[in-house]
Amino acid sequence: MTSLNRRQIMGLAAGAGLASAFPGFTAYAQEKEIVIGGSIPLTGVFAFAGVAIEAGMSDYVKLTNEAGGIAGRKLRLAYEDTAYKVDTSVAVFNKLTTQNDIHLYYGDSTGFAKTINEELNRRGTILMAGASFGSELNNPEKYPFQFMAGPDYVEMFAILLEYIAKAQPGAKLVFVNSDTEFGRDPIEASVKRAKEMGLDVVAQIVTPPTAVDVSTEVLKLRRANPDFTIFHGYVLAPLPEFMSQAKQLGLKTKFMGTFWSMDNSLWANVGAPADGFMGVMPYRYYYDTSPDAPILEKIRKLRPTYQATGYMQGFLTAMLMGEAAKRTLAAGKELNGKTLKAALNSIKDFDTGGIIGVPISVPGNSVPVGRIYQFNAADKQMKPASDWISLKK
Amino acid sequence: MDWLFFTEVTLAGLGSGALLSLTALSFVLIYKATRVINLAVGEILMLGGYLFFAFVTAFGLATWLAIPLAIAGGALFGFVVERTLIRPMLGESSISVLMLTVGLGSVLIGATELIWNTDPRALPDFMGQTPVFIGEAYVSRKIAIGFVVSALVIALFLLLFRFWRGGVALRATATDQAAAYSCGINVPAVFSLAWMVACATAAGAGLLVGAIGGISPTMGVFGLSALVVVIIGGLDSVLGALIGGILIGLVEAWAGTFLGGEYKLVTTFSILIAALMIRPYGLFGTVEIERL
Repeated sequence: MTSLNRRQIMGLAAGAGLASAFPGFTAYAQEKEIVIGGSIPLTGVFAFAGVAIEAGMSDYVKLTNEAGGIAGRKLRLAYEDTAYKVDTSVAVFNKLTTQNDIHLYYGDSTGFAKTINEELNRRGTILMAGASFGSELNNPEKYPFQFMAGPDYVEMFAILLEYIAKAQPGAKLVFVNSDTEFGRDPIEASVKRAKEMGLDVVAQIVTPPTAVDVSTEVLKLRRANPDFTIFHGYVLAPLPEFMSQAKQLGLKTKFMGTFWSMDNSLWANVGAPADGFMGVMPYRYYYDTSPDAPILEKIRKLRPTYQATGYMQGFLTAMLMGEAAKRTLAAGKELNGKTLKAALNSIKDFDTGGIIGVPISVPGNSVPVGRIYQFNAADKQMKPASDWISLKK
Repeated sequence: MDWLFFTEVTLAGLGSGALLSLTALSFVLIYKATRVINLAVGEILMLGGYLFFAFVTAFGLATWLAIPLAIAGGALFGFVVERTLIRPMLGESSISVLMLTVGLGSVLIGATELIWNTDPRALPDFMGQTPVFIGEAYVSRKIAIGFVVSALVIALFLLLFRFWRGGVALRATATDQAAAYSCGINVPAVFSLAWMVACATAAGAGLLVGAIGGISPTMGVFGLSALVVVIIGGLDSVLGALIGGILIGLVEAWAGTFLGGEYKLVTTFSILIAALMIRPYGLFGTVEIERL
């Protein structure tokens, strides 16, 4: 057993006193780095996204550090698993922000973003983004230190509606959503918007969060017989079964989804019933070899196998955080929530290296850009079905 | 009233109710023999779906072979769990064993995420896509198959408990273990058999549930819906599992259609509360069931 003599104890006490009296003394080792904290769901219901998000953020950090970091500072990602539970996310936030000097943070859910918002506002030292595209968060007044690296859910619907209004004016629509905060988010606003655009929402179908069989919902869909059916609040299930049964019934409706149900590998496993599924995607897919997408080439070199859509979301989020930090430091300002958010909002016509196919701006809390993709079962790939659609031009 | 539509909704409710009944059967079989509430049933159901997926995709087996192998895998898992985890717990409090099954469920989810990763997946189609019509009424093919399989399995179990020696031994053990011992019944073997059959049933249900809704490490939540069924039907009643499942399936289908999807769970849990208040031991359960 180790024992300390009085001299050693006095030495330790003096060291502790020095550290508390001069915080810069202990922070010296850390001052040359910028830490991005993260409450990331590596297990639980959203793990499929969390694992990909972590990979995307880590790769951005790696590439940035290999290129010399940001204003000479190295980036570091400090994160822990939350299992997609708000209380765990908050505990991770408290732990990581205590252990590290964090000014950038990634949160895992709308629930966490709403819960932690008051604390972010109180501290004023952190700019946060995350996996949520909740429309409520797209409010710079209420959520001044948050943003999302893509369109919010209402904006995603708006992009889909814009596409539909052009493709088939006056089309009949049905919205199908899960009975969750995520699922309900864009429905009310989008019903109104569809009406304004001359589209007819003939039915709204809600499925319980644990739904497996959707036979009764498909029967309701048959009664409504829409031209387009838009799903929201799902990752994969129960969409394939919904589409299979609709095809069995001879329905001609076109099925669409929003970002989190647009992953290519998930639909590739579904096979033939997935053919023709469309949806809004804010980012290019991993396999896109467009000449104006050099960053995708780098990503493919780093990771030779397909990376899920969450990867692109994580990568772009970290990129926007990095850009905000870069602009803040270049202006000679300290990193805090206010300066970082101002720097983020100064981003105009920014080249993402091809992750998004058009230059982007971040006027508020979102990046209202997306493109319609359609799944081709023969090629097992999502393919562009529209040009990039930017809202609020 | 559109009677054709009502009939179709009712048939859909019967089908999804049958799936609940089959899963509930797994709870009942173990409870009936060993007085253990196995809260890992949902995760064993998930294991069945993933085993089938692995046999077909990783090993390239035909579905007709992968199905019995996945069910046998469930049985083997039940045997191992009973011998290594449950039997040493004999004589311990019910809560300890209950918590053990909760832990077992968590371990299964973690292992699944490690082996097959966290992505949701669709199972290879083994039921076909041709729609089924009863008269003019449409029924989803998978739901129709699920209903027939569930009905056959439950009918088989009802007959086995009534006429087969093993079934009678199981009933005797459930009634009085000491008396069963004195009659020469190998009680530990009955425990093993119950776990094997129950886990095989759950794995089989996993194939059906996975074929409809796909598989993912979180699909075990379906087991909780089945738990509601056994509480309503009676923890130790095979007939209760059947009727409870059909009842919940029908009510959810009608509520979802005529009230809206957001009322499905509200209706289900309202029935659960009412059932607990009126018949706390379930519609067909034995009165002396100890509640936890």
